[in-house]
Amino acid sequence: MTPPGRRLRDIFRNAEADAADEIAFHLEMRERDFHERGMSPLDAHVAARRRFGDPTGIARQIRAIDDRAARQRRRTGMWTDFSQDVVYALRGLRKSPGFALVAGVTLALGIGANTAIFSVFNAALLRPLPFADADRLVFLWNRTTDGGPSPLGPGRMRDFRRQMTSVESSAALAHISYTLTGGGDPESLPGASVSSAFFDVLGARPLLGDTFHADRADPSAVVLGYGLWARRFGADRSIVGRTVTLNGRPRLVVAVMPRDFYWPFITASPSGDGGPQLWVPGGPGDVPRPATNEDADVTGDRNTGYIRLVARLKKGVTVGQADAEARALGARLSREYPEDGGRTALIVTLREQFFGGLERPLWVLAGAVGFVLAIACANVASLLLGRGAARQRDLALRRALGAGRLRIFRQLLTESAVLACLGGTAGALLAWWGTTSLLEVAPPDIAAGGATFDLRVLTFTLAAALGSALAFGVLPALQFSRVDLAAALSEGATRSTGSRRSGRIRDLLVVGEIAVALVLLVGASLLVRSFVALSRVDTGIDTHNLLTFNIRLAGPRAEYQARQVEFYAALQRRLEAIPGVVAAGSAVTLPIGGDDYGSSYLVEGRPTPPPGDEPHAGFDMVMPGYFKAMGIPLVAGRDVRDSDARTSPRVVVVNQSLARQQWPGTDPIGRRIVLNGDSLTVVGVVGDIRHLGPSVPPRAELYQPSTQRSFPFMAFVVRTSGEPYAMVPTIRRAVAELDPALPLSDVKSMDDHLARAMARPRFLSTLVTAFGALAMTLAVIGIYGVMSWSVSERRREFAIRMALGIRGPALLAGVLRHALLLAAAGVGFGLIGARAATHVLDGLLFGVQATDAVALGLSAGLLAAVAMAACVLPARRALRVDPVALLR
Amino acid sequence: MTERTTTVDLLQGTLATLILKAVSWGPLHGYGIARWIEQVTHDDLLVEEGSLYPALHRLQARGLVTSQWTLSDTNRRVRCYSLTEDGRQQLRAEMNRWERFSVAVTRALQARRPSKAV
Repeated sequence: MTPPGRRLRDIFRNAEADAADEIAFHLEMRERDFHERGMSPLDAHVAARRRFGDPTGIARQIRAIDDRAARQRRRTGMWTDFSQDVVYALRGLRKSPGFALVAGVTLALGIGANTAIFSVFNAALLRPLPFADADRLVFLWNRTTDGGPSPLGPGRMRDFRRQMTSVESSAALAHISYTLTGGGDPESLPGASVSSAFFDVLGARPLLGDTFHADRADPSAVVLGYGLWARRFGADRSIVGRTVTLNGRPRLVVAVMPRDFYWPFITASPSGDGGPQLWVPGGPGDVPRPATNEDADVTGDRNTGYIRLVARLKKGVTVGQADAEARALGARLSREYPEDGGRTALIVTLREQFFGGLERPLWVLAGAVGFVLAIACANVASLLLGRGAARQRDLALRRALGAGRLRIFRQLLTESAVLACLGGTAGALLAWWGTTSLLEVAPPDIAAGGATFDLRVLTFTLAAALGSALAFGVLPALQFSRVDLAAALSEGATRSTGSRRSGRIRDLLVVGEIAVALVLLVGASLLVRSFVALSRVDTGIDTHNLLTFNIRLAGPRAEYQARQVEFYAALQRRLEAIPGVVAAGSAVTLPIGGDDYGSSYLVEGRPTPPPGDEPHAGFDMVMPGYFKAMGIPLVAGRDVRDSDARTSPRVVVVNQSLARQQWPGTDPIGRRIVLNGDSLTVVGVVGDIRHLGPSVPPRAELYQPSTQRSFPFMAFVVRTSGEPYAMVPTIRRAVAELDPALPLSDVKSMDDHLARAMARPRFLSTLVTAFGALAMTLAVIGIYGVMSWSVSERRREFAIRMALGIRGPALLAGVLRHALLLAAAGVGFGLIGARAATHVLDGLLFGVQATDAVALGLSAGLLAAVAMAACVLPARRALRVDPVALLR
Repeated sequence: MTERTTTVDLLQGTLATLILKAVSWGPLHGYGIARWIEQVTHDDLLVEEGSLYPALHRLQARGLVTSQWTLSDTNRRVRCYSLTEDGRQQLRAEMNRWERFSVAVTRALQARRPSKAV
């Protein structure tokens, strides 16, 4: 065979010579012609050349044309080869439908799971946010002393808006819920009060109408979210210009936002609700209105933090630069205004704010499905090895007929690609169907981003399919394109060649499968164990048979404002009177799923700590009866009571953590603390609760009686003797008797709040366990397949040995020893892999270490046992045959 | 290659058609094609030889002609071109088009004063 380099040179030399020959012949002929017509030989020679032009230039031109044609021919040739290979591959798959089905389903599961997780990943972390130039949008928060974000007060917000130089424009918003009345049941809706520049800063355009703008906003206007518009107003396009009643006031609908304008949860609260569905302009000074009193002029207030500031960075300014500026400015403002409380400031990108917490869980899921795909590929590779052995003669024939090794290799790889694309298509369909059900059971924060099947997802699926084709196809293709002609074509000797090498490859595949499945199983069992630990946590509340709902007296219920306390007390008495109600109470925020308020305070009689170092505690306001209804024990002193009136001396109840922090070993009753400038006497100590959910340890907590400092909204808790939801109609009637136009919102049992707080760990552990189970099933199928095939290959050998008198059990022991070796190697590598991989679970585990021996041991034992079982069956079947029959 | 005026374009297209016609009776080498065109047009059309060979090779790349090397009577290696089936069809189409074109141009050039009717 000529080396390719020389062949290429030959071609070029010939082409060059050909062109020169052709032209030379022409010149010769012309010259002869001229000569025959009577020119002198010299004249004829010169004239012929003059007439022709530049021979070398033309020769070059000719060659360029020929080369291009040759390239074109090669390309079409390759394309024809490729389409031939595809047809051949499809025909081959049709001829062995069993193989096609098993491999296809395996790949569909692997690729489908990856596509499904990627579509969620894409929605949350890759897809651009639905705002113009979203990369330049950030949130600006107060940086609390523990480094976390907290909302701004109006005065501080105004200073940031005016003085930040790295910011091009900014807008503030505050979450308020609104009661919508008229045209249906009264309904409480999450909404936001925003600066008029809000939509301009985001660069968001409405679907209908026109939004508020920085220079003008009708104070009685409202912009509706797509979901609310579609649900409550039947997607009526004539809604713009109509009036709706919110908190008892008429508001003019000026715009409807498009479907993809989503504004997910943005509080740190574990409830993570669905985000605003309507937006109204802020109050005086373009300051968003506080939820507690919509009519108050709070422009001068620096103390009450309730505002979220969204800013658009100037072009070229990095988040780091803006953060440094905000930090410096925040510290300076805190020095100028002591009431700012010693805080600095914090810049967080929009994406981080919306989806930051999801990154790690999604990476864990992505890793899990990646492992599943790896095992699927290993299975298909070993299937292909098994199939290829049977096709060896066919391939050898093709070689003999002149197909090059590269050609065979390409053909085998094309077959793998065809198989992967079929599997990928099925996988994409599976994922399409799967993500819908996935999002239904997903916790709200993961579901909020949704899942999209856009071009990026489809590209991913294609890449996954082709990547798997390479992963499972290259080894078998290499193996069989190397086939030895003579050996393969001669009868008899077929089995011996190459089978030892492919046997080693198969052993490696088995070891790899066991190792990867083990890593997944360890991860799954860690997540399950931490979920179990989390569900066993004592939250400090008896969540059983506890119904909660919110009542809000605002706007239209202005007549209540003077007598909020009386209203809530009256409602509580009515609730308590309902048969089946054991106890009732109310608080401003409920633990687990409610909002979270905190406040710094001072202990009277102690030196004032420097600004920023004040002790901090969770803060709530409760009506008498709340602790009893919640099952929070009173440890010392007394509960708040009705006689703690607005005019009586101010009192406070603290929890055990706070008492232990401030007055360890001594009686806290009768001590005094200063909160918001008020001096309060500690009258009682109650048990600790996990306010922020089971995973967050109890913290210091203060409870003020709301009889002394009332609020327009309260969350009620009703302990029932039976199924809590069964009481809802009766409770609705009781509320309606007091005021028929008052909506109950967020009606939910405390068990459901708890379940929601546990939704993410449950989701994660369920999903990873499912993927772990899938991986183990695939691995077992793979191991079973490989073992039964390698045993069946050795049947002749077994038969001979049995004929020579070696007993079946002895042979079986040999097979099992080999299997045990593979399982041990797989488990060993798996444990090493698990050790390296489980650190991605940091921060997702609760009450269990990543090196948990139980999780490691159980997973390893389970997998080893299953792997052994997958070996024993084929071995026993192989030994049950009659040696005489086989040898004949 | 980069700049082609309309006349060259027309000429090239015409040249290609003439080449197809020239080889329609049997294999012919490049010089033979040039001579044939000169003869049948009584030297009215002088084939620019510099563009004859590129045109031949382009036709070959398009599959309208094929070429094979033969020996001439003087024992020289000669490349002879012959028409393929695609080339024959192409020639037929070109002849058809040319006929309609020339009839149309003739008609236009012999036309009288236009009538008023629109």
